[in-house]
Amino acid sequence: MDKKKIARVAAFRYKILAIIFLVLAGGLVLLPKYQKQEGIKSETLLSHANSTERYISTDQIANKIINQDPSFILIDVRNEDSFSNYSIPNAINIPLKKIFDEESLAYLNQNQFDVVFFSNDNFYADQAWVLCDRLGFKNLRVLNGGLNKWFSTIINPKMPNEDMPDEEFELYSTRKAASMFFGVVYSDQVTTEDSNVKPEAPKQVITVQKKKKKVAEGGC
Amino acid sequence: MGPLIPNGIIPIEWDSIIAIFIGIVFGFVLESSGFSSSRKLAGVFYGYDFAVLKVFFTAAAVSVIGLYYMDYLGYLDINQLYVHPTYLWGAIIGGVIMGVGFVSGGFCPGTSLCAVAIGKLDAWIYVGGIMIGVFLFSELYSFFEPIYNGYFLGNITLIDSFGWNPYWVIFIFSIIAIVAFAVSDMVRKKVKKVFY
Amino acid sequence: MSSKNKKNSHVYWNPYYGGFLLGIIIIFTFYLTGRGLGASGAMKSSVVTIVDKVAPTHAENNAYYSKFISKEDSPMNTWLVFEALGVLIGAFISGGLNGRIKWRVQHSPKISSNRRLVFALLGGILFGLGAQIARGCTSGAALSGMAVLSSGGFLTMLAIFGSAYATAYFFRKNWI
Repeated sequence: MDKKKIARVAAFRYKILAIIFLVLAGGLVLLPKYQKQEGIKSETLLSHANSTERYISTDQIANKIINQDPSFILIDVRNEDSFSNYSIPNAINIPLKKIFDEESLAYLNQNQFDVVFFSNDNFYADQAWVLCDRLGFKNLRVLNGGLNKWFSTIINPKMPNEDMPDEEFELYSTRKAASMFFGVVYSDQVTTEDSNVKPEAPKQVITVQKKKKKVAEGGC
Repeated sequence: MGPLIPNGIIPIEWDSIIAIFIGIVFGFVLESSGFSSSRKLAGVFYGYDFAVLKVFFTAAAVSVIGLYYMDYLGYLDINQLYVHPTYLWGAIIGGVIMGVGFVSGGFCPGTSLCAVAIGKLDAWIYVGGIMIGVFLFSELYSFFEPIYNGYFLGNITLIDSFGWNPYWVIFIFSIIAIVAFAVSDMVRKKVKKVFY
Repeated sequence: MSSKNKKNSHVYWNPYYGGFLLGIIIIFTFYLTGRGLGASGAMKSSVVTIVDKVAPTHAENNAYYSKFISKEDSPMNTWLVFEALGVLIGAFISGGLNGRIKWRVQHSPKISSNRRLVFALLGGILFGLGAQIARGCTSGAALSGMAVLSSGGFLTMLAIFGSAYATAYFFRKNWI
């Protein structure tokens, strides 16, 4: 009895298989389509945005520049006029509008250097950071406080009051030294070789070409 | 998200090891399906055995459905897969030549490797022939080059060429495959049996 | 034991079952490596290696060989060569399990084995030539191409089967 039943079903086995097959193929047609999101998920973006590591302080940057640390590139996201007016030495100008240009992506989408965005304050730099992070670019940082803070801390550091702790004085002296490196002249220091204090011409930042995702190779 | 090696989820060093394992399974399935027998393969052209057609179309349909489901569920990015480039006349002329070779020799390169492994001497000769063919092509490369490099249409898919919806293409392809299976079974009943 | 093997040695898998597994392998291959299967690539690499060994200057001057020759790496060190090695191993295992391993020439009883070998050689030459022009064989271009709906893959598949059916009549003596 059972055997007969099995045999009866088995006679239809190819038809059953064909139907399963068609249902699966038809399922693809019928499934609701949705727009795929490019880049990282929103949750990942949020956790990146909350991470404290995404900011880098002006002191750290000044220190890196003075030590000629080659591991980072500075990206000025303000417009060209402001950039030509003043910028941090060795910075590269990529205005926010042009951030997705082919040549800009070569700087942004690479794994070799840290990318540090800055603008006058955090605002545009943060926008640039979000845009790039969403696309999954790596090693992105924002200069905390932007150029305003750069001026108030590095270029024109405030002399601490006498009742402040020693650390403040130490910080002040390093900042002062840094500002001299960046070309600020103090009256008590103007004695010898002025020309040495001048900032060097911005050195060429060697960028890596955008490493394309490795394209899989062919068959035969 | 896949593909795993191009996205660096599996280190590239595994590439060759994975290649061997995939090859083993590939060879095992081909041989077990009877693709090491040239007479079974040639049967598809004379109507006494449609194993090639069945295996080939089932494999293509299963893989394309599976890949699109994986793409839909987000395990795989279908745009990152290697798409065989389309050189219009290269594909046609090459295909025509291969078709004649197929009927004459009774193997295609993959199946001939299986037959080599189980000691079919005709397959050894066939593989030797393929090497001679490659050698001839390379020596006469300047003659073949216009076809080889010409009429390049890019790494396009049917979706790019005709603007079809891929899901409908797959659905229609599956129907064609099933109709082909049914027809092949009917043809086989009519054709005189050949024992091999 | 041996009689049992003899009886079963021509029983193969159900073609749908084999096709299903083959489809799964293709999915798996694409999922892992982003590329399809292939077979003739390994033979091309072998030819390039042989020519490079025998006549290095000739290989360098030839526009086709020189594409695959690099100073640091042997042309044999490619994905497809390893895959082809795997195919040999896998087929050997399967053939061994089913008792199909034997030195022999398989041919229709109506033709001599020499005739079979001549046509095999001819077919191989044509297939090798065609596979280079079309940049892939049935597994590389047609099967893996069709899995991603490549236009070239479908075109190659149609051309192969179309011309095979068209010329099958002239080769019928060899097979039936």
